[in-house]
Amino acid sequence: MTSNGWLQIAVFFALLLLAAKPLGLYMARVYERQKTWLDPVLGPVERLLYRLTGVNPEAEMRWTEYGAAMLIFSCATLLLTYAIERLQHAIPIPMLNPQHLAAVEPYLAWNTAASFTTNTNWQSYVPETTMSYLTQMAGLATHNFWSAATGMALAIAFIRGISRRESKTLGNFWVDLTRGTLWVLLPICLVYALALVSQGAIQNLKPYDTVTLIEPQTVTAPGADGKPVTTTVTTQTIAQGPLASQEAIKMLGTNGGGFFNANSAHPFENPTPLTNLLEMLSIFLIPAGLCITLGRMVGSPGHGWAVFAAMSVLWFAGVATCYWAEAQPNPLLHGVNQRVATAGPGQSLSPGGNMEGKEVRFGVADSALFATVTTDASCGAVNSMHDSFMPLGGMVPLANIMMGEIIFGGVGSGMYGMLIFVIVTVFIAGLMVGRTPEYLGKKVQAYEVQLSMLYVLIFPLIILGFAAVSVLIPAGLSSISNHGPHGLSQILYAYTSSAGNNGSAFAGLNANTHWYNSTLGITMLVGRFLMIVPMLAVAGSLATKKIVPPSLGTFPVNSTLFTVLLVSVILIVGALTFFPALSLGPILEHLLLRSGISFS
Amino acid sequence: MLDLIFLVVSLVFFVIAVAYVHSCQSLKGGGGNA
Repeated sequence: MTSNGWLQIAVFFALLLLAAKPLGLYMARVYERQKTWLDPVLGPVERLLYRLTGVNPEAEMRWTEYGAAMLIFSCATLLLTYAIERLQHAIPIPMLNPQHLAAVEPYLAWNTAASFTTNTNWQSYVPETTMSYLTQMAGLATHNFWSAATGMALAIAFIRGISRRESKTLGNFWVDLTRGTLWVLLPICLVYALALVSQGAIQNLKPYDTVTLIEPQTVTAPGADGKPVTTTVTTQTIAQGPLASQEAIKMLGTNGGGFFNANSAHPFENPTPLTNLLEMLSIFLIPAGLCITLGRMVGSPGHGWAVFAAMSVLWFAGVATCYWAEAQPNPLLHGVNQRVATAGPGQSLSPGGNMEGKEVRFGVADSALFATVTTDASCGAVNSMHDSFMPLGGMVPLANIMMGEIIFGGVGSGMYGMLIFVIVTVFIAGLMVGRTPEYLGKKVQAYEVQLSMLYVLIFPLIILGFAAVSVLIPAGLSSISNHGPHGLSQILYAYTSSAGNNGSAFAGLNANTHWYNSTLGITMLVGRFLMIVPMLAVAGSLATKKIVPPSLGTFPVNSTLFTVLLVSVILIVGALTFFPALSLGPILEHLLLRSGISFS
Repeated sequence: MLDLIFLVVSLVFFVIAVAYVHSCQSLKGGGGNA
């Protein structure tokens, strides 16, 4: 580890801290329908949209109506994306498919539609050889906006459940969806995309470029008969497309689906160290801001900062562990270096740590930070390959997702996930002192705790259930690229990433099979929607309650003690649930690696 | 044919999710929330 690496991590957090408050207060104004400086431009657009769609913006919804509207919207957009993928070859506008890409095959199309609807953006395909420009723009980028705005709307609905007293309603889903898109996502993305273009990100509808290589490459690969065939490659195809506009919302909306297969390691997606910093910041920007929005809307700014502090502590623990693990040289490679291979006189094969699967432009510190941030949130964009991390370094992204992606988390989903843990924490604190638990004046009773635990339990159930089946059947095992504990980690990571709606991959797993496309698709849908429903039910129940004045027995939720207890509950719930699986995967791999044992 | 299957699978999932909304609501019966 270097002081430069730590400085970059510190600068990242300082900038986040500076940006969170103004954005959080702005979002509170947007969702409370107060005046903002963008109203003269966006107000008429909003009114036009309501008029065209027949939405009455003054109509309030109960939690069941809010949930049903969200489900209907998600179902319709999922089917729309599926149709676009299946029909992309038939669109008679050449510039929208200049490479003449064929229709996406059904299993993959459904997996991708489920993936982008749920904000997962898991990609079992290579985008530049599979998806036309039309599909990327109309099918996928639009979902990046919709799924992010849906998550934000749901978080706001939960916050209203806490702040409202004796109310049967949580707001209007269509209004929250519209205002989140128009007032928050679109303006930031417009500026952000231009900033990316200024740094070298591309934005065009051109056919792919073919260039002549300065140094022709000789490649040996198995031929049709299985015998090695040597060819000389003299040209390279450079993919093009409307990238910058998708890149901005990909990061800001914690979507993470790359325009190219290499994702944020590709020089067009992430051209400079500055864009790397911007991309990491934009992942955490809205989730961090929502902490401040929470404090403002519930009338307790200290509570918002206490939640922010809990998230920050967990983030720092993750990035410190990951950076430490990746700053160590691979002990097996170190042995090879001493005996045989050299990178040159006086050079190491592990400069600064484990560089396998990392971009030299970003190095160890920024790769570890990116991996931590993208899995704390539900983003899943990558600027390095998590599969190539050291076992404990790779365990950090896995553990981050397993904790429920509540460390800042996905846009909206991180906040409502964290608030479920707050309910559990308040309940445990109440049990400790023998009083009825209260959360900001609302009594937390059996119904809320039952549904909160349902929310908490669905997540490991779907991950561990499918992972267990996959390690037992040929269809599951045939996709792994390493045997032993690393193979288990690959399977575990795939289902964890899908259920957590993260979408990052451990890279070594071939997930484009019927088994993985269909089961991962189901996992994503369950991990998103069957967890949202109990969350909304808790919000709906809290909204109906009276607010009782604080007494001596009230547990303050804006204190350091609350932050410590909240962090402890998250760690204990995450550790207890997933520790056995982690022991058989990355922890065992770490111990075996130290003993000189690896698996091919 | 597969398109039809995936259409049905998607619709069935969301119908189950809507039913799940109502089952969560019905749990409220024994709550006794003040």
